[in-house]
Amino acid sequence: MTGWWGRLLAVDLTTGTASIETLPTEFLHAYLGGRGLGVRLFRDYHHLDPFSADIPLIFAVGPLCGTAAPTAARLSVVSRSPLTGTVYDCSAGGRFAWRLKAAGFDALRIVGQSRTPVALKITPQGGELLPAENSWGKSVSATVADFADNGSVAAIGPAGENRVLYANIMMGEGNAVGRGGLGAVMGAKQLKAVMVDGDLRMEVADKPRFDQARRDIMRLFRASPVIFGELGIAEYGTPALVDLMAQRRMAPTENFRKTFFSGSDKYSGPSIRKAYQPKKDGCFGCPIQCKKSTQSGEPLPEYETVSHFGALNRVDDLHAIVRANSLCNQMGMDTISAAVTLAAWGELRGDFLSAQDIGPLLKDIAHRRGDGDALAEGSARLTEAHGQAHLSMSVKGLELPAYDPRGAYGMALAYCTSNRGGCHLRAYPISHEILRKPVATDRFSLAGKARIIKIAEDTNATIDSLVACKFSFFGASLEEYSELLSATTAIDYSPQQLKEIGERIYLTERFYNQNNGFNAADDQLPDRFFEQPGTSGGGIEVPPIDRSRFDEELSKYYRMRGLSDQGVFTDDGFLERQP
Amino acid sequence: MICQVKKYFDKLTTDGSAEPSHVAVVARDDEILSTGAEDFVSLATKILKQLNVVALVVAAPPFAFLEVLLQRMPPDSAEIIPLDTETRTFLHDIPVVRAEEFNSEDPSRLIALLGQRKGVLVEGVGIVATGTFTVEMAYINYSSVYHALYVKTLLDFLQQLAPNREELRTLTPLWNQLAANIPDRFSLAEQPLDTPDTILAAIDETGRKTVSLRLVDSFFGNISCRYDNALYISQTGASLDELAGCIDLVTDGNVSTAGITASSELVAHRAVYRQSDALTIVHGHPKLTVTLSLLCEEQGCRIEDCWKDCDRVRLLGGHPLVAGEVGAGGIARKVPPVIGRTGTAIVYGHGVFATGRSDFSDPLRTMIQLENFCRQEYLHRLNACLNSADRDFFATLIAS
Ligand SMILES: [Zn+2]
Repeated sequence: MTGWWGRLLAVDLTTGTASIETLPTEFLHAYLGGRGLGVRLFRDYHHLDPFSADIPLIFAVGPLCGTAAPTAARLSVVSRSPLTGTVYDCSAGGRFAWRLKAAGFDALRIVGQSRTPVALKITPQGGELLPAENSWGKSVSATVADFADNGSVAAIGPAGENRVLYANIMMGEGNAVGRGGLGAVMGAKQLKAVMVDGDLRMEVADKPRFDQARRDIMRLFRASPVIFGELGIAEYGTPALVDLMAQRRMAPTENFRKTFFSGSDKYSGPSIRKAYQPKKDGCFGCPIQCKKSTQSGEPLPEYETVSHFGALNRVDDLHAIVRANSLCNQMGMDTISAAVTLAAWGELRGDFLSAQDIGPLLKDIAHRRGDGDALAEGSARLTEAHGQAHLSMSVKGLELPAYDPRGAYGMALAYCTSNRGGCHLRAYPISHEILRKPVATDRFSLAGKARIIKIAEDTNATIDSLVACKFSFFGASLEEYSELLSATTAIDYSPQQLKEIGERIYLTERFYNQNNGFNAADDQLPDRFFEQPGTSGGGIEVPPIDRSRFDEELSKYYRMRGLSDQGVFTDDGFLERQP
Repeated sequence: MICQVKKYFDKLTTDGSAEPSHVAVVARDDEILSTGAEDFVSLATKILKQLNVVALVVAAPPFAFLEVLLQRMPPDSAEIIPLDTETRTFLHDIPVVRAEEFNSEDPSRLIALLGQRKGVLVEGVGIVATGTFTVEMAYINYSSVYHALYVKTLLDFLQQLAPNREELRTLTPLWNQLAANIPDRFSLAEQPLDTPDTILAAIDETGRKTVSLRLVDSFFGNISCRYDNALYISQTGASLDELAGCIDLVTDGNVSTAGITASSELVAHRAVYRQSDALTIVHGHPKLTVTLSLLCEEQGCRIEDCWKDCDRVRLLGGHPLVAGEVGAGGIARKVPPVIGRTGTAIVYGHGVFATGRSDFSDPLRTMIQLENFCRQEYLHRLNACLNSADRDFFATLIAS
């Protein structure tokens, strides 16, 4: 077998034991790896409370990890989100994924709860627990430094220890396992860090075929202005989107009350370049290198982060935004949820925070001190506690990223249908509605969007299982990635088959969520987007979304998914029929 | 969505890339929407139900040239790999389904191939192309496959085996089309290109003109115009005949990144403006220019990957011809240094960049004249490949 080792490292923190298990080949072929494999391995546990001892925290790499496949040195972490209550996966790059594969494992399953803080050390021989009392309470970078001798490190910061519901797991190089609070799940287990080292090489089955596909992909990257264009993400990182979102008048501003912020040029891609002269940085082995960092190696914020600490909180101070980003990274906390929660807090209080007040409050959130304790619960619980639930700009409790749904109707729909809550990456319609890839669609129209969203969700579930980066698909498609996969594994996968695998993964997640009480009532945007217009101007009208038209398209989506009008499975036996 | 189905059906039946009576466009919203030839619609519907895509185009290209191409292929070859940029960048190869492998009642082999590639050539049917997200995508993929096969067929006549009498006769409409010139007298609004409004209008008009004159197929190409310390350029993936609202302003010095949606050839356009006194650039893929650009007569050349590795500057129609891949892949490096010679440069297997100093009429006219030259040159070269009897026969076909 090539592509997979067929090995899982099972760790029980309650008993302090680790053992190596064989992964069924059938799972690997049917779920690939990453998100798909993690979601399959989660089947028997999906009803457990995210903070219960028995719930697994699963790290899974994919069949392309460890090969020269572009953007594939990634993994997914899967568990249940304490923020949303949904099954949750997050893809992250960095050296850690590549090392885990090089240690001879496709997946790592951590269950149980340690009585004292520990760190998990992984080598090709297996796992070993090390004491971590001395690191407990430390920032992410201090923790990474404590354990760096043992290989690549994934760690939590104070936010994870204190169960901030949007705490991240941070990779040593600054990549985040972000959004849904899996850092809090790790913290509840008293697991401060995971270190992995290994140098096993995964061979590909058909080297010439692999190289050909790789060349095809690189050619498509070069043909894509979004990737390698002079104004693209390889040059400016994702903040290249700041100017575009301003021009399209869909930059969420003042907690989504407006969609245009006149100060956004202060933190645009070119402004960041001017202020910091960033270095190109990025995931291990990635040709795009879209991450940017300061000359001293400090990661600079992504588009979502600059826009949400910026426009959403009415801040135009670039340095304050960069500091907020660094603080979140050090505390191990999601920047999107943190910034949206701050903005909701601002609207609740009737005034947004000043740039100087953001940093101290972020620290208070991570340590659950003072007002920070309530904010650590996320915007939905925070506003609910004040009887103002409508001020939380979230879906299923997950705070919305920096694409106003009134400016991209496919995005509006996709926020609702995403299995992990208000996330832009599940169907990533920004790709076609804004960036014109692979083809442009009318962003102010819902026509045909239900099926586009369904197909994109299936496709992206596959991408998350390979595991490749979504940005690759601004240039390449499953056509080329299926070639890489087939060449790696010697099993012929067509793009169509890969989309079917993605569909299986998507439906499995939805089924878990349904078992946990989710239904169509949870697939809803905040009322604001149907009632209030965005900020029109520059020849662009931004009206509220037409609710009846939106609901009609959502109903279509359910039909296309084979679900009832209430968005539920009509067939209780769905899960049993899956491999 | 039915509007989209109708729109692209209309395009296919009028843009010359398909036999109007042999076109079907089918899309799937929550129900199937379709228009076109009945048997094609029923085939497309069957296929669409089994693929995770939005739309399908089934159409037969004109002139029966696919039949000629298929007859020339070894019966056991499973795919065609044309040499043009579309194939090299986006299509990779074009799978073939032979008549004996095809059953319209049970098109399972075709479905399997469409699950792998954007378009498939089906003997006795034509080209079947998918659109993953939109109807437009199916149209684009059809156009790409058609363009690639057209160029390949014409090139094979010169490079592989000259057409026999039967083939010559079958393709009479094609020869007559090539024997006729694209009119190089056309009218574009005469307005100085000195305000945003006149520039946007001129780019839009020029784009529509390139398509209505049938100089190029609509999807491929881009147009720009300098303006102060900036340039206006068509967006990536914008059709030349629908540029209104799809033009980006890109400032020098990159003070804004809003132009991230600009054409993939932005970097080439900028470099051309930096290195010449051009005011306007028109880029398109006229078929005969593309065909002849692939005809290299260099003897004893050891280069295997011409797109990437060929550094020679050849001449075609008096204009420099260079090799280079799309976007950041070489065009931007290779074209600007040579385009100053005549104001026009040709890219191997790809198309033409033509510049103007004051308007869009000059570059458009240059492109038309170059394409007309290539048509004549092609017929001339084809003639030279024929034996004397066939040559006389060929002359009578064109004269008729
Ligand atoms: Zn081109």
